[in-house]
Amino acid sequence: MVIQRITIMKKITTHIKLFFGLAALAFATSCAPQLDELTPSAGSNADFTKYVAIGNSLTAGFADNGLYLAGQQVAYPNLIAEQMQKFGGAVGFNSPFFSAEQSDGTGYMRLTALVNGSPVIEMVPAQAVRSESPLLFTKYLDPITNLGVPGMRLDMMGIQGYGSAAGNPYFERLLPDASTLTTTYLSYASSQNHTFFSFWLGNNDVLGYATNGAVTTNSTNRLTTTTEFTALYTAFIGSLVTNGRKGVVATIPDVTSIPYFNTVTRVALLAAVNAVAPAPVADLYIATKTTPRAATDKDKFILTFSSIAGNLLGSTANSPYPYGLHPLNPIEDQYVLDESEQATVATRVVEFNDVIKKVASDNDLAVADAYAFLNRVKSGIVVNGVNVSSSYITGNAFSLDGVHLTPLGNALTANLFIDAINAKYKSTIPKVDVSLYRGVIMPN
Amino acid sequence: MKKLLLTLIISSPLLLFAQGSQVNTQSQKALGMAGAGSALFIDETSIFYNPGALVKMDHNSIQIGANAIMYRSTFQEVGSDQTHNTKFQISPPFSLFATFGPKNSWWKAGIGVYTPFGGGVDWGSDWPGKFSLNSLSLRAIYIQPTLSFKLTDNFSFGGGFVYNIGQVDLSRSIPVYYADGSTGQAELSGTGSGMGYNLGVHYNLEDEFSISLSYRSKVVTKLEDGDAQFTVPAGLSTSFPNTTFNAELPLPSSLNLGIAFPVSKKLDVAMDATIINYSIYKELNFDYAENTAVLQDTHSEKNYQNAFSGKVGLQHQTTDKLALRVGAGYVYSPVQSGYVYPETPDNNRIMASAGFTYEFSPKWEMSGAYVFQHIQPRTTTNIETRLSGRYETYIHAPGLSLTYKW
Repeated sequence: MVIQRITIMKKITTHIKLFFGLAALAFATSCAPQLDELTPSAGSNADFTKYVAIGNSLTAGFADNGLYLAGQQVAYPNLIAEQMQKFGGAVGFNSPFFSAEQSDGTGYMRLTALVNGSPVIEMVPAQAVRSESPLLFTKYLDPITNLGVPGMRLDMMGIQGYGSAAGNPYFERLLPDASTLTTTYLSYASSQNHTFFSFWLGNNDVLGYATNGAVTTNSTNRLTTTTEFTALYTAFIGSLVTNGRKGVVATIPDVTSIPYFNTVTRVALLAAVNAVAPAPVADLYIATKTTPRAATDKDKFILTFSSIAGNLLGSTANSPYPYGLHPLNPIEDQYVLDESEQATVATRVVEFNDVIKKVASDNDLAVADAYAFLNRVKSGIVVNGVNVSSSYITGNAFSLDGVHLTPLGNALTANLFIDAINAKYKSTIPKVDVSLYRGVIMPN
Repeated sequence: MKKLLLTLIISSPLLLFAQGSQVNTQSQKALGMAGAGSALFIDETSIFYNPGALVKMDHNSIQIGANAIMYRSTFQEVGSDQTHNTKFQISPPFSLFATFGPKNSWWKAGIGVYTPFGGGVDWGSDWPGKFSLNSLSLRAIYIQPTLSFKLTDNFSFGGGFVYNIGQVDLSRSIPVYYADGSTGQAELSGTGSGMGYNLGVHYNLEDEFSISLSYRSKVVTKLEDGDAQFTVPAGLSTSFPNTTFNAELPLPSSLNLGIAFPVSKKLDVAMDATIINYSIYKELNFDYAENTAVLQDTHSEKNYQNAFSGKVGLQHQTTDKLALRVGAGYVYSPVQSGYVYPETPDNNRIMASAGFTYEFSPKWEMSGAYVFQHIQPRTTTNIETRLSGRYETYIHAPGLSLTYKW
């Protein structure tokens, strides 16, 4: 009986071994499913071999009020190029990167603390300044395809000397010394032998004016007219589409869709004033294009006003009347984009976008509708479980300067362009995985 | 005044528990027939499949069994060429069944200790759905004392009381960023318990035909004072205090009808149909002990529908000692499009299986089974996270059990 039981046990263990052998085989073959819904492809309607990106600070990867290596690396054209390279496009795509030693570039804003929910921001010092006055940065003269120049305006596209020491230092750093006085941005951008281009210019033709509270003091903050814009835009695109070359253009966002105009509110300012005021204060007074008046919730104070408002509001240093709290000493026009100024700017943006769409249509180009997209972002969207909105810092899309994009904002923009290109040219450029890109860095 | 009051609004971590249609692995015999056989098999596993059939056993027995469930899911975001796989891991659900009582009497008792689901899924922390889920591990042990009674030789009924202890571990990325671009993380873990019952009736017409009707009640596992740990940049630590949470995880009731009959002397066929009452799973609420402006209690819509499964299997008594089985089944998912979450990216599924029982002696027998489930590819956009992509899942579940009879 005992022997019989041992035999049975042996049999059982033999069978168990056999079974686990089979099970091991099953493990080895238990492959994961294969999903291959998308094969990267250029399609046959556009040639992506040499892709150039033309634009301003957004195209250059400017962020946190500075141009620095980490921002340049995630500029939306660089993300698009990386995706095009999956099918052999965007050959030799290159940006005028600051070196690793000068990676802080022109310096940039950094969030150092949140004190009761309020951000404390410091400036990381510049590393790539080769001249303080005039301000000039380390040159980059190798061939590049990300041609974005911070501050670039359409109305400056044909100005000789714009890339000189007296002009735009971001353009100056891209040009050999011998040609800074003769090169225009138009001639520079249109002579790169591209096969495909992205074009996102025109923002600064309204934004410069708006961010200065609709006050023009120099050529960087004038409001370009629609007549000028139409001529310039048509000419620039005309120089890029020769020989049937294709591209994508982007519309100009509504300026009020950015945190720069949506963060400092009348209510917040009044609350701060009343926190220290001896008697209740009911109204803030602002200068307008006509007469000073009490501010309403529709008037937008610029983001940078928050850092000076504390010293200014209620001050009687330069007037017998408290600053901002009396019609005879109102908050200066440059700090406020008031309701009627907003209307002027909004109308101009719509006119510009009509021109952009018309020119794109005339030349059979794709349109990335940044205007429509950022209007959706303004009220808040959810992307892969992340809240994205035009809220300052917490909206994840805009960097600390309240105007330029975070890496996550750049990834979303890249996908906006990719969608537009794919739809127009029947290509299958894969989308960027947005979840790999960060919002604002939190203090640690 | 120099500063500007800033309120951070960041979505709170959710325990996105969505137990899709279960893989029942309590009997290797039934598993070999894709889950059919509640009417056919009268043995110690009837404690789980139909307590009413238990009394028809003409002996007593004890069985131990285990499975190795491999859950392989793949995800591809819409418009992307990148695929993301869950990490390979083996979940080992086990079961233990024992019966007691006089032979051929009007009553029999039994106890079952089993894991009705188990397992886990680990997508890692660098996939597009990381803000939904990094990894989830669920372990539950059900203990079920059972009594079964014979009314006539052909008709019997029974019932069991279910007590369950469950444990959940979940981690999820939080969209707050460190300087190197990495994200914060929430880790939630908790244990809880719940209760339910299991009822069944069984009728057989000699050896010709048998029918089984059984009902398992819902079991709501209440997690109390689970640990919620947050790893976030130091500047946000006051917004994400390490705290505790309460939540409830429901496992729905199900109603099962099984029939079995011989086709020939050596060949039996069994069929089972199950309605799983998932429509009770409307929402999941999540209550943190300490709330901040950032960390709020959450309320998540699930809107499950009732699920249905149909399974059919064949058993061939190849020799006196060896029985071979095959089976196939289909399960309609309870998860509506839009409510698919990465912890169980559910869809309708197809099952195929094979199995055997070998009797070494009148006292010892061993059963083995292998079931493969294919959860159909599904392209969906989650209503909450807007994660948009295509999921596909293979489940491999080999298992083995050993029975001693007396």
